Amino acid sequence: MTDPDTASPSPPPRHLAHPVFSASRVATIAAGTVTQLIRMKTFYFLLAFALLVVAVGNFNIPATPAKELSMIKKVAFGTMDLFAWLFAIVSTALLIPRDEEDRTLYTILSKPVRRIEYLVGKLCGVLVILAISLLAMFAICAVMISMRESAFISAELSSMLSQERYSEDEIRQQIGLIQAQGMRPELAVAVLASFLKAAVVAVVTIFLSTFASSSLFTIIVSILIFLIGHAHSMATNFWLAETENNILVRMGAKVIRILIPDYQLFAFSEGIVLGEPVVWGLVVQMALITAGYLLVFLLLSLLVFVDKEF
Amino acid sequence: MAILRRIPRWIPALVLLAAFGLIRQPLEHRLREELATANLLLPPPGQNAMQQMSQSTLLGTLGGLRSLVATYLVIEAFNHFSNKEWDELQRDYAIVTNLEPRDEHHWVTVIWHIGINATANMQNDMRLPEFERKRRYHEYALSAVELAERGIEQLPDSVPIRLQLAEVYREKLRDPCAVARVYGEIMKLPSAPGYAERFYGYFLADCPGEEEQAYAYLMRLYHAEERHHKGTLVTKIRELEEKLGIPPFQRIPAESGEENDSATQGGKILVP
Repeated sequence: MTDPDTASPSPPPRHLAHPVFSASRVATIAAGTVTQLIRMKTFYFLLAFALLVVAVGNFNIPATPAKELSMIKKVAFGTMDLFAWLFAIVSTALLIPRDEEDRTLYTILSKPVRRIEYLVGKLCGVLVILAISLLAMFAICAVMISMRESAFISAELSSMLSQERYSEDEIRQQIGLIQAQGMRPELAVAVLASFLKAAVVAVVTIFLSTFASSSLFTIIVSILIFLIGHAHSMATNFWLAETENNILVRMGAKVIRILIPDYQLFAFSEGIVLGEPVVWGLVVQMALITAGYLLVFLLLSLLVFVDKEF
Repeated sequence: MAILRRIPRWIPALVLLAAFGLIRQPLEHRLREELATANLLLPPPGQNAMQQMSQSTLLGTLGGLRSLVATYLVIEAFNHFSNKEWDELQRDYAIVTNLEPRDEHHWVTVIWHIGINATANMQNDMRLPEFERKRRYHEYALSAVELAERGIEQLPDSVPIRLQLAEVYREKLRDPCAVARVYGEIMKLPSAPGYAERFYGYFLADCPGEEEQAYAYLMRLYHAEERHHKGTLVTKIRELEEKLGIPPFQRIPAESGEENDSATQGGKILVP
């Protein structure tokens, strides 16, 4: 019989001491990643973005107000999309090697932190920074577009009213044309599309960085995969037409389609920016597909990362 | 279990990647079609457009920077417009309209550049011999018509493209019958401007052989609503009354039509 005074306390059940997955540990790693990325002065690119939007907003080409607004929107949202995926690649590619270099990785993994928690935390950190950046860029865009829109409307109104030969209906029509190309709440969905694409790009980059030998390799290969993922549906038709439906080309295209994410699908932001109405059902499906990519590529990353020796 | 541990990690990774690829393929294919039907996903650029692109624009387009490439080409086309390089401008817009076929502005702008500006330049460019200027003038005007037809194919309900086409027919090809036909199409569209139905009548009145039909149409408009009693409408009816020899007791009263038709002043038509 054991003496209750001298016996060592029984260890807590294993699942309480070290749960399989802890959201708080993930949140801590994500917060650390956000701080790490902010310290890399990543938000400075917002300044460049703002300058670009202002420059485009002041282009002096002979165009109607509606066309000018459409051009500002296209450049702003196109640049936003470009910044988002480029940022997702570069920042994600730098994270794991930087942690290895600083030896932070060893400190983290020597604690009761599971490798999946580390990977999810890193990804969440990047996604938070991406979301903040996209929201900031959207805000800059919204201010610029709204300012130009109201300036165009008041100029058009005063011009049409001073000529005293346009009916109310004609004036309303003309203002409607400007407003259709102006700031609309649906444009937020275009930002969401860019975010979803950047999220997939980030998770693919994390996967690559788990086995890559250097950040440079990860960045180059990620950009290559991005370009292939964007182009394969367009290029396949072109190649098939050029090679008269060659079976080898068809098989090659199929393999690429299976292995590489289809980034072209996420280009639905372009339609929204051009003024097409949003179909919410399709947006939800795109979000689900993105969730699928995140889950599968995190599992792939874990498969490689779990046995990695440091 | 020990065997499983000995399997290199890349094998299950590849299996997982391939399985996911096979599952998502049909889903993505269906989604792509639905997005394209909703006009949210732009169709891939045609083979001709891809062949015309320079390396950088092709790479940009394939890399998902389609709208940025299109905007860059629009700005480049503006430079060609400034330098009166019409063929280069047309080549740029051939790519732009392929990249963004559903952007009405591109169609309207290229029709305006080629149909109005390039033809006007051919009337004034004294460096070219007259026969060459005439040849290019017609070539550009007909190119503009062709561009408009392609634009209408992409955007069947577009009023601005048709308005621009009507301008080319009216100003450059001097074809009132074609202008009337285009206004006839415009007035059936839901977003037609209020003056379209009057314009149809005006140009029909100038179309040889259609005078009787034009007179009947304009009289119907005249009697339908007071708002149609514009100066131009009254003038056109009076011209037709003379031409068709309408008896005096059937003619419209002399004091009618004080107000001019705003939409016809200076030949300006509201094009966004």
